[in-house]
Amino acid sequence: MTSTTTPWICRGCLVRLARRPARHHVRFLTQTAAPESMPPALVARARAIAADHKQLTDKLSQGFDARAAKRVGEFSSILHALQKWDQANESVAELTSLIHDPTTDAELRELAADDLEASRTALADASQSLTTSLVPVHPFAHLPCLIEIRPGAGGSEAAIFAGDLLRMYQAFCNRNHVRNTLLKYENTNGTQEGGVPLSEAILEVASDGAYGIFRCEAGVHRVQRVPVTETKGRTHTSAASVLVLPSVEERSLGEEDVEDPESDYYIDPKEVKTEIMRARGAGGQHVNTTESAVRLTHLPTSISVSMQDSRSQPKNKEKAWRLLRSRLAQLRREKREEDMTAMRRSVVGVAKMGRGDKVRTYNWGQQRVTDHRSGTTVHDLDDVMAGGQTLDKVMESVRGWLMEKDVEALLAEESLTKK
Amino acid sequence: MPRLPTSLLRKARAIDPLLPRLLGVCRELRAAQNELRWLREYADKIARGRSGKAHRTLLRGMVENRASGKPLQYIVGTEYFGDLEIKCRPGVLIPRQETAASVTHLTHLLRSAQGLPDELRVLDLCTGTGCIPLLFKHEFSDAPHPVRLRLLGIDLSQEALDLAKQNLERLQEPDVDDESSVINFLQADVLKESWDEQTVERPCIQAALNFSRQPQFWDVLISNPPYISPSGYWTTTTRSVRGFEPKLALVPPASEGATDTDQGDTFYPRLLTIASECEAKIILLEVADMKQALRVANLARRLNTCTGIEIWRDQPDQKSGTEHQDGFPVIGTGNARSVLCWRGPGAAWLGKEDELNVMGAATDMPLSLQPQFTYPFVESSEDSRSSYLEDRTMHNHRPRGAYKLFEAGRQLVSQDSKKK
Ligand SMILES: C[S@@+](CC[C@H](N)C(=O)[O-])C[C@H]1O[C@@H](n2cnc3c(N)ncnc32)[C@H](O)[C@@H]1O
Repeated sequence: MTSTTTPWICRGCLVRLARRPARHHVRFLTQTAAPESMPPALVARARAIAADHKQLTDKLSQGFDARAAKRVGEFSSILHALQKWDQANESVAELTSLIHDPTTDAELRELAADDLEASRTALADASQSLTTSLVPVHPFAHLPCLIEIRPGAGGSEAAIFAGDLLRMYQAFCNRNHVRNTLLKYENTNGTQEGGVPLSEAILEVASDGAYGIFRCEAGVHRVQRVPVTETKGRTHTSAASVLVLPSVEERSLGEEDVEDPESDYYIDPKEVKTEIMRARGAGGQHVNTTESAVRLTHLPTSISVSMQDSRSQPKNKEKAWRLLRSRLAQLRREKREEDMTAMRRSVVGVAKMGRGDKVRTYNWGQQRVTDHRSGTTVHDLDDVMAGGQTLDKVMESVRGWLMEKDVEALLAEESLTKK
Repeated sequence: MPRLPTSLLRKARAIDPLLPRLLGVCRELRAAQNELRWLREYADKIARGRSGKAHRTLLRGMVENRASGKPLQYIVGTEYFGDLEIKCRPGVLIPRQETAASVTHLTHLLRSAQGLPDELRVLDLCTGTGCIPLLFKHEFSDAPHPVRLRLLGIDLSQEALDLAKQNLERLQEPDVDDESSVINFLQADVLKESWDEQTVERPCIQAALNFSRQPQFWDVLISNPPYISPSGYWTTTTRSVRGFEPKLALVPPASEGATDTDQGDTFYPRLLTIASECEAKIILLEVADMKQALRVANLARRLNTCTGIEIWRDQPDQKSGTEHQDGFPVIGTGNARSVLCWRGPGAAWLGKEDELNVMGAATDMPLSLQPQFTYPFVESSEDSRSSYLEDRTMHNHRPRGAYKLFEAGRQLVSQDSKKK
């Protein structure tokens, strides 16, 4: 972080988290070819865009055109990455031919071999950035997010583990100086003590870009350990589910999005039933109840949310609206994505990733954490649970995996359009 | 009250040993869990820095207190009223959410109104903690057209007035220069007529207004007066209300020959008269239930000074089908909670112009013949607004006597200060 004066905003931290060069990203390329090589279809795509770019800039030089200008702006990062990649390719080729040239003397060959190492790394990086620039950014990646954690199968052990996960994410956020607030916390006895079984928690990570960081955490997290409650020392397997929703705090979304019927977050107030729960009876001066719960039901989908954390009824209402918007937007997005994946899957089997799938295992006995999507295993379980750098590593690997899937999908689309 | 099932108590104990104590007053597990959490948060706040043991003792004490029926709001010292956290204290009624809902709804209707006067004047009779004027101001603060607000809360109880002033201080936003609004609190007896004998602690409204150089004329009159009849007090209020909240705030005083129902209604005729005298264009009165709402609405209809009357339920902002009772429109969902009356420009402010809904002569006239409600500026008068009602309503006695009272009041005070 640089000289940010407001410690909790820390956009920079997230940006840095997201951009940290991740070697894992390159891994998918190893399956097909040398690490520095790009799938030809992707390169072709980049070249086509570069050609478009040239046409557009020519057009711009003849007179201003707002739409052309905008697209030039969008393309420039691809163009830049392509130039870098061409350069790196060239120097690798040059060095390679130098090394293979029988007339090259031994000393020079040694030097060239040294340089080749460095150039290969540069090429790998360039491939990486070119790929990244081509893969469309997730439409909600820039938004803050809500992380919802609930115990799954496994009784109170699952509930305890759900609490562990919550603290893991909180610690992760705190270590990275990312502002986070508990929007909802319900354990079975209404307190926030550690080790007490959790029934539901919603953590809001309010910094921009949080969804891009945390969306890889969605899914079923499995735990294998001897529960504290277990007297015979047997290892149990339980699970907790994590749901990650892009969050629409009015601030990051802008009023017009919430008001815009085209937006995923739009809700027609006429379609929402508001119930204010209060003590039965005469009300008014006759009773002095503290009941402040609010329940909202979206009638067309019958999604219903209720909030009762605060003594202030308007606050509960506001929180409930925010949650309802997020849930609904998620639903709409999932629906759209389903349509998309159905199309993509017809070409490439993209593993679906959603609430139902087991994504990661935390094994206490072996002190290891394995992510089933990226295939990454780390051994410093304590550091993971403490939200430490080992967790960064795991999350990074999943983001890399997600990008691979995106690239595969992109290539699939490419070959579709060719047909 | 039915006994709590043992299974529920056992379940509560398993969650937290303190919970069963709260079930008696809360009745439901969820409610008890919430209250325990809020008490715990409050204990955390005030026991900061003290030992864990001190904290536990404190919390247990609070739970015992609550279990005895003491309202949570008195224990933690505040209640939410709309967005505002209002200070509460035994001796002064805890603000109710239903009141906040009506006041918020009225404010939202007015906030976007066209043609409001440059200074909108709001009188709140029986103000208690001062919650109504404070919320009105808060909800009005982002009105699209800048309007100056003058708000005045009146109560008989000195305890209530002290608390109202504390609330005003607490909620005053320090960085907003308060040119745009003034709030005052004043002691007066709503039930006292101007010809009754006046004292400094219990002047009638007119005398109090005069004495403190407040205007005679007000645009909006709001009141949540004591409205529970003696029998209602014993049958419909909860134990916690009876045991801990001031009866003065709930049950109007007895008067000779009055029935139980009459006693519950004591304040309304007086409030409607005051509304006429101060020429309120909008009147919002809280009531106990539909029966009382209809009695108050019919009384207002008989007085024939309003052009529109409707009844609001607990959530007046919630859409419901069109409903009428005795010819009065009923708005919203929940129990019947207040009666809204308007006249003159009040109709336009509320967006009710098209609904010439009743009642009395004014609306029988074609629109063009109805009085134009402008306020000619009279320089010599302390209050520059002249009265549109003056020449056409039943009350043609302006309380000139009030000036004498004003003088009497001054003398009383100067005598008082001499004594000291
Ligand atoms: C039901 S409480 C309403 C308080 C506050 N407006 C609220 O909504 O929370 C009624 C208030 O009327 C006051 N009161 C009772 N008799 C009165 C009287 N004769 N004149 C003025 N105020 C009176 C009580 O002190 C009490 O504060």
